[in-house]
Amino acid sequence: MITLTIEGRQVSVPEGTSILEAGKAAGILIPHYCYHPGLPVAGVCRMCLVEVEKSPKLAPACATAAADGQVVHVHSESALEARQGVLELLLINHPLDCPVCDQSGECELQDYTYAEGRRSTRYREPKRVNPVEDFGGDVVYVPNRCILCTRCVRFMETVAEDPVLNVSDRGDHALIGKFENQDLTHPWAGNVVELCPVGALLSKDFLNKARSWDMDRAASVCPGCSQGCNIVIETRDNVVARLRPRPNADVNQYFMCDEGRLNYRWLNRRDRVAEPLVRRGDALIPVDWEIAIDAAARTLTGRRVTAIVSPGLSNEVLYLLRRVLERCGAESEGVFAVRQGPEAPLPGVPDLAVRADRAPNVQGAELMGFRRTDAPLDAVRSGDVLLLADADLSAAGAAVVSGALARAADIIVIGTTVPAWAAGAGAALPLANMAEDEGTFTNLRGRVQRYRQAKSPPALARPGWSVLADLLVALGDPIVVWTPAEAFSALAQAHPAFAGMTYEGLGATGTVVADAREPRAVTAGIGA
Amino acid sequence: MPIGVKVLERPIEDVSYVRATLTGMGLTLRHLVNPHKVTVQYPEQREQLSPRWRGTHRMLTTDDGKSKCVACGLCPTVCPANCIKLVPGEDAQGNRYPLVFEIDEFRCIFCGYCQEVCPEEAIHVGRHYENSEYSRDGFVYDLERLMAQTHPVCEMWDPADPRGE
Ligand code: SF4
Ligand code: SF4
Ligand code: SF4
Ligand code: SF4
Ligand code: FES
Repeated sequence: MITLTIEGRQVSVPEGTSILEAGKAAGILIPHYCYHPGLPVAGVCRMCLVEVEKSPKLAPACATAAADGQVVHVHSESALEARQGVLELLLINHPLDCPVCDQSGECELQDYTYAEGRRSTRYREPKRVNPVEDFGGDVVYVPNRCILCTRCVRFMETVAEDPVLNVSDRGDHALIGKFENQDLTHPWAGNVVELCPVGALLSKDFLNKARSWDMDRAASVCPGCSQGCNIVIETRDNVVARLRPRPNADVNQYFMCDEGRLNYRWLNRRDRVAEPLVRRGDALIPVDWEIAIDAAARTLTGRRVTAIVSPGLSNEVLYLLRRVLERCGAESEGVFAVRQGPEAPLPGVPDLAVRADRAPNVQGAELMGFRRTDAPLDAVRSGDVLLLADADLSAAGAAVVSGALARAADIIVIGTTVPAWAAGAGAALPLANMAEDEGTFTNLRGRVQRYRQAKSPPALARPGWSVLADLLVALGDPIVVWTPAEAFSALAQAHPAFAGMTYEGLGATGTVVADAREPRAVTAGIGA
Repeated sequence: MPIGVKVLERPIEDVSYVRATLTGMGLTLRHLVNPHKVTVQYPEQREQLSPRWRGTHRMLTTDDGKSKCVACGLCPTVCPANCIKLVPGEDAQGNRYPLVFEIDEFRCIFCGYCQEVCPEEAIHVGRHYENSEYSRDGFVYDLERLMAQTHPVCEMWDPADPRGE
């Protein structure tokens, strides 16, 4: 450990740490553009110049190792003047695009210019203008706004290991180019949009949709696959507008895949069940929650139940479902199927990939004793109650579905939608989806991670843990659950793998379960 | 306990209304003969509004008749009355423009912040105050209506005296 002073604050950091990271540890933000903790250091932008006492010149904080006894001034006159010069040069060819630029409000060029830049320009000559270019994938490139920090180039080269981008041309003609006949179609290429400190690389999907300050944010976990990348759900007027990665050194570092990033529209589905429904004659009619729960409980009591659950439900909901099954007739069983997709790793980060299991809580479902199968409907035996817990069975063939329907004596739906083929259900209990609820998922390495509520559920739909707690009470279980934290502690008390965990204790980055099959060495973030 | 009432004995010249009445009538008579008239024969005659008058909004247009607004989102953000609704979108040329732009003139407090913040000099408060409608909804002006307004717009400040001194 070495100790240095930055802006009058003493801080101790491990040897080899850069001044910029030491500044972060001391709570001092040193302006920077080309530096990113997830990328190799380039030292090209010179925005991080700071004054180091006894050193003849200003030093780039990102590329200078902190040394014992160093005294660093970030806001000294000479450092401020140097950075003002850098900003002035960056703005020479920069368009006054902020009103139409998607980055506005979360743009580092805006922020630092407000903080340290000149009030007005001295440049009177015409600006360089280049046309907007479609980079393929979800990315569009606006060269006029590019500050040539090369973060995108370094990401594609060293992290995605698919060097598609380069710096083309020299001097003031320089811009980011694509190698001929190549596109940003790497499954993780969308991360360049996040990495770009300005509005030069933009997401086509999000283009012109919302302002960063219009949106509400909630820390969450990507529901796309069993990797469990940490994300932020951003909503505008109760509609999910985009998903962005949230750093977690043990899971996804700073990244998320494109499939996960763009897989949010289902969270905004409009064809939801919004009221509890029970069967009266031929129709499902809306009723009070109590009536629907009683109807479901009466159907389940003493019967053999086959529950087909979704591996996208939270640990707590799956645990409570398991407890429901224990209250039902003998030999009741729970199964789930997992939608499959091609696996695609991000080579530069250990143990990070879009996993073939395209569901966030496969591990949790297995830990709760649900049986994984490719043909969940085959588990339905004749005379069963089919309890459909938000499982998506659209992949099953019509013959399989009608066979299962013929065998099942009753159907109870607990979920966000009632599929057309389940319209004969005896009762339907509407649930909030994962963006409307909070809870935990267990990722494929056994890491239990919390997600928070990002928007409100439609009409009378309720969080799964609360619905199931009521159902359990109706089935005669003495359980008392009033909050998601209580649901989690009920689970932690009952399940050895979760023993000792607390909801609060999971924190922002999660905790690994006791019997994780492949416990993974904790890798520190690059340069962190 | 009985309440004692104290009766004030005041001189007649203090309590008499005669003097006050005569003073009032004197004022009326003075105005009757005063040549300076303040009453305006509205609507045939109108007062000249101050160039800084802030009234009903107007959306300025470009030479080819499109609204100047680029849907930057600043005016709905700055508006203290929260009366501007904006949904940004893209036009056929891929330019950012407002899919929906509405101002609720009933909620507006005519502070003029929207005009001041607009980077495109698009939305303006106007030198106009005559508004009447048969329903409340009529006061929610959409983009078309804002663009169709023709009244002069507010000059936020006098260029000769920008600080208003
Ligand atoms: S990149 Fe930043 S500074 Fe440049 S136009 Fe966009 S928001 Fe403005
Ligand atoms: S496109 Fe963005 S990330 Fe890439 S060099 Fe330009 S400013 Fe940097
Ligand atoms: S004048 Fe003020 S209150 Fe009215 S729309 Fe503009 S910003 Fe809002
Ligand atoms: S501030 Fe101007 S350009 Fe921006 S949304 Fe309002 S009217 Fe449109
Ligand atoms: S951040 Fe240090 S040179 Fe760019």
